[in-house]
Amino acid sequence: MRFWSQLRSWIQTTLRRSRMESEMDAELRFHIETFTEDLVRDGVSRQEALRRARIEFGGIERVKEEGREARGVSFLDELLQDLRYGQRVLRKSPGFAVVAVLTLALGIGATTAIFSVVNAVLLRPLAMEDPSRVVYLQEQWQDIFPGVSVGNFSDLKKLSTSFAELSASNNASFNLEARELPERVDGEIATANYFATFGVQPLAGRVFTAEEDRPGLPKVVVISERMWRARLQADPSIVGQPIRINGLPTTVVGVMPKSFDPLLSNSDVWVPAAYTAEQLADHDDHYLNVMGRLKPGMSQAQAQSELNVIAHRLQQLYPLDDKDRGFRIQPLTSVLLGDQRLGLRMMLAAVGFLLLIACANIANLQLARSRTRQKEIAMRAALGASPSRIARQLLAENAVLGLAGGVVGVLLAHWALSWILAHGPAEMPRLDQSRIDASALTFAISVALLSSLLFGLAPALRSASTRLNEIFKSTSGVSSGSRDRVRCLLVIGEVALALILMTGAGLLIRSALLVSHVDPGFDTSNVVVGRVGLPDPGYHDPAVARQAFERMITAAAALPGLESVAVVSRAPLAGGGSSNGLLPEGKPFDPANLVNSQLQIISPSYLSTARVPLKAGRDFTLQDTRERIFVAIVNETLARTMWPAENPIGKRFACCESGPKGRLDPVWHEVVGVVADVHAQGLGRQVQPAFYIPIAQMPPSAWDWIGRTMDLVVRTRGGVVPVQELQSTVASVAPEVPIYGLSTMQQKISDTLERSHFDTFLLAIFAATALLLSSVGIYGVLSYMVAQRTRDIGIRMALGASQTQIVWDVLGFGVRLAAIGLAIGIAGALGATRCLSSLLYGVHPTDAITFIAVSLLLLLVALIASYLPARRATRVDPIVALRYE
Amino acid sequence: MDKQLDLLQGTLDMLILKAVSLGPLHGYGILLRIQQISKDRLEIQQGSLYPALYRLEHQGWIASEWGESENKRKAKYYKLTVAGKRRLQAETENWNSMADVIAGILGTKPEEV
Repeated sequence: MRFWSQLRSWIQTTLRRSRMESEMDAELRFHIETFTEDLVRDGVSRQEALRRARIEFGGIERVKEEGREARGVSFLDELLQDLRYGQRVLRKSPGFAVVAVLTLALGIGATTAIFSVVNAVLLRPLAMEDPSRVVYLQEQWQDIFPGVSVGNFSDLKKLSTSFAELSASNNASFNLEARELPERVDGEIATANYFATFGVQPLAGRVFTAEEDRPGLPKVVVISERMWRARLQADPSIVGQPIRINGLPTTVVGVMPKSFDPLLSNSDVWVPAAYTAEQLADHDDHYLNVMGRLKPGMSQAQAQSELNVIAHRLQQLYPLDDKDRGFRIQPLTSVLLGDQRLGLRMMLAAVGFLLLIACANIANLQLARSRTRQKEIAMRAALGASPSRIARQLLAENAVLGLAGGVVGVLLAHWALSWILAHGPAEMPRLDQSRIDASALTFAISVALLSSLLFGLAPALRSASTRLNEIFKSTSGVSSGSRDRVRCLLVIGEVALALILMTGAGLLIRSALLVSHVDPGFDTSNVVVGRVGLPDPGYHDPAVARQAFERMITAAAALPGLESVAVVSRAPLAGGGSSNGLLPEGKPFDPANLVNSQLQIISPSYLSTARVPLKAGRDFTLQDTRERIFVAIVNETLARTMWPAENPIGKRFACCESGPKGRLDPVWHEVVGVVADVHAQGLGRQVQPAFYIPIAQMPPSAWDWIGRTMDLVVRTRGGVVPVQELQSTVASVAPEVPIYGLSTMQQKISDTLERSHFDTFLLAIFAATALLLSSVGIYGVLSYMVAQRTRDIGIRMALGASQTQIVWDVLGFGVRLAAIGLAIGIAGALGATRCLSSLLYGVHPTDAITFIAVSLLLLLVALIASYLPARRATRVDPIVALRYE
Repeated sequence: MDKQLDLLQGTLDMLILKAVSLGPLHGYGILLRIQQISKDRLEIQQGSLYPALYRLEHQGWIASEWGESENKRKAKYYKLTVAGKRRLQAETENWNSMADVIAGILGTKPEEV
C-alpha cells in the first residue's frame, strides 16, 4: 500500500513539475514574441526585432532557473540536484573517488559482515514464544554450577509456584535404525511439558503427553524436521509409524519444526523421560538441564528468592546430598549465548575502529581537497549561495561517496560472510543463520550515511564558515594552520585506534602461540578416537557391557596397522565427562571435605596407548578386578590438591559408590599410581584434578553416568585411519551399534583451537588493515604538508639547510604525530585489553612484550610512511620553490 | 528622452503590485504598463520581471490564470489578491514615509543643523 501511495505522489510531483516547466516556456515565449511583434510594428525588420528582443530579455535559462528558485523548488529536488552535482564532482576526480570508496567499502564491508554474524548469533531472539520469560535453572555447590538431580527437580516442581512450566531434559545419543544402516543421533530425554515450556507447536502430529511420560509404557518419540527430511524422506504419513531406537520399536508421535532447537544442541529426537521411582528419589546425580517459564508478572528475582527458600528446605530434608546446595536461575538466552558475547563484541568493536579509521582517512583527503576547491566554493558563495546551502551541497557530495562505499561494502560483506560461514568455528551457535538480510542492509546504509556525515562534516563546516576575502587573498604557498591541526588530530586518532587493535591482535597471537606450544600431556600422534554407545536394552547388565567393550578391544588389537587399543569413558578434548567428589581418608564425611575431580574409567591398556607418562607407582593390570582391592591412579594436580607435600602412593580416598551398610559406608580406593596432567578440557584450559579407575572395578551405577558410552582409543603405526575396519570390528561384537565421531587426536586438538584461531585471525586482519590505513593517513598528511611548504623548504635550503636536516624535519614531524597517537593508543589499549583477559592463555592483558612489539612495529611503519614525503622534500629546487606559486 | 534610472533594489515588487492593481495583466503587459506610467524613465531588466512574478505568486500576493491576449494568443494573466492589496497599501505607506524622511535629510541646509 505504502509503495503505491509513494509512487503516486512521485508521479504527481514529476507531472506538476513538467507542467510548470512547459507553462514557464510558453509564458516567456509569449513575452519575446509579443515584444518582437511590437518592434516589427515600429518598423524594425523581423530578424533584427527578434535579435533585439532576445538581447533585452537577457539569458532565458538564467531567468528560468531564478524562476524555479522563486517558486520554492522542493527540498527533494534540491537534494537530487546536489546528489547529481556531487556525482559529477566525484567523476571529475576519479583517483580520489576510487581511493575513498574502496577505503570506505573496507570499513563498511567489515562492519556489515560482523554485524550480520552478531545479528544472527546474539541479537535474533531464540525461536520460541517470549524467550525473555524462559530461564535456565542450575544447582549451586561451592563454586560450581552442576545440573539438577532428578530428585531435586521433582521436589522443585512440587514446591515452587513461580513457574508456569518447569521442565527437564538431558542430552543423550541414540542408535537409530530407520530404513537404513544404524546411525547415532543426538537427542534429549525430556519431560512431557518440555515443549510447552518453550511454547512451540509441532509441525505434524503432537508432542508426548504426561500419560506417556511414565515408566513402563510403549515407547514414543518426537523427531526433528531435519531428521524427518534427511532420513525419513519427509514421509507425510510418518506420524504413528514405528522406527527402531536403541533396538526397540518406537512410535513417532510428532515432528518438531526446523527452528525448534531451544538448547541449541542440534537434537533430532526427543523421548519421554519417564523417571522411575528410583530416579525420582535420587538426589545425588546432578545432570538434568532444567528450564522454566516464569509465570506472567513474576520476575526473575522473585523466582530466585523462592528457590532460595526451597533450597533451604531441601538441605534439611536431604542433609547428605543437598547440604550447602542452592539453585541459580539465569535467562536461557544468556546461558546459551553468553559465551559468544565477548568474542563477538570484540569483533564488532574492532570493525568499528576500522570504520572510524577509514572515515578519518577520507576526512583527511576531503580536507586536502577542500583547499584546492576553496576558490570554487568561494565563487559559489560570492554568487549568492548561503553557507548552509554550500554545507548541504558538500554533505550531499559525501553522501554520494558514502552510498557508493556502501554498495561496494555490501559486496565485500557478502564475500566476507561466506568466508566466515565456511571457516567460522563450528561450535558458535546459529552462525549458519547469518546472512546479508534486510536488517544487515539497513545497517550498511545507516553506517554509510553516518560515516559520510562523519567525514563530510568537518570539511563542510569549514567551507561554510570561511570568509570569502581570505580565500581570494590567500595564495597556495601559505598553509592555513588550523586546517593542518585538524588533519594532524585525525591522524593521531587513527594511530591510536590502530594501536589498540594491534595490541588486541598481538595479545591473541601471543596467546595462540603459547597454547600451541602447550604439552597436551600425552602423545597425540597417530592416535585415533571414536565413540561407541551400547543401547540400554541389550546391555543393561554391567558385566555384559564391560565384556562387550573388552571384546572390542581384543578384536581391534588384532587389526593390522594398529599398535594398541583401549577404551576410556571420555577421551581428552572430547568434551563432557563426569566428575565425583572424593573424600580423602582421615577426614570426616562432610561435603565441605570433598575434592571435586574428573572421573576417567579406563581399560588397563589406556595409559600406555595414549602414552600418558607414569610419574610414580604402577599402571593398572588385568588383575585389578572388583574381587581385589579397589585401586586408582591420580593426576599430578589431584595429588597436589589432596595430599600436598605427601607421597600419594598408598593413600586412600572414598568415592563413587557406597558400601553394603548404606550411604555412609565408604568404599575406599587406593592410589597405586600418579600420571602426568592431561589437558583434557582443551589446551588453553586449566588442568582439573582427575582420577582414573579400571573398567573392571567401576561401580555398576557408573554405566548410567556415562550412558554406556565409551571412547575407543587406538594408536596406529601411522598411515590411514582404519575407519571401515574399526566399524566392522565394533559391529562384529555389537551388531547394530555404530562407532561414530571417528577422528585423529590432532584433528580434535585443532578443532578445539578453531575458535580462538578464528578470532585471532580476524583480529589480526583488522589490525593489519588499520595499520595500513593509518600509515596512509600519515603519508597523506606529510605529503600534503611538504607540498604546502615547498616555498618554506626552498628558503631554508637557499639559506644553507642540508638535505639531511630537511629529511629529519619531515621524519620528525611524522614520528611525532605517530608518537602522540601511540601514547593515546597505549592508554586506550590498557583499558581495552582488560576485557580480553578471558580469551587469553598465559598472557597478561597488559603484557609488556606485546605492547612494546606493536608500538615498535607501528613506529617503524610510521617512519616508512614519513620517509617518502621527506625524500620528496629534499628534491625541492630552491629556485623553483621560490617561484612556486 | 530623459536619462533612464536604475531601479532601486526591492522596488520592482512594489511596482508590479501597483501595475496589476489597475487590472489583470500578462507579464509583457506589466512591463509596458510600468514603462508607460513612468514615462520610460525606469530601466527594468525584462528577464528579472518573471522571477519577481513567480516569487510574488508563491507568496500569495498575486494570482495567475491563462487567458487570451489582444493578439488572440494564450497568455498568463496576473491579478492582485486580497493579501496583495493589503501588502501594496503597506508598502506604499512605508515608501512614502521613507521618501519624506530621506527628502527631508537631503533637503537640509547648513543653517538648519
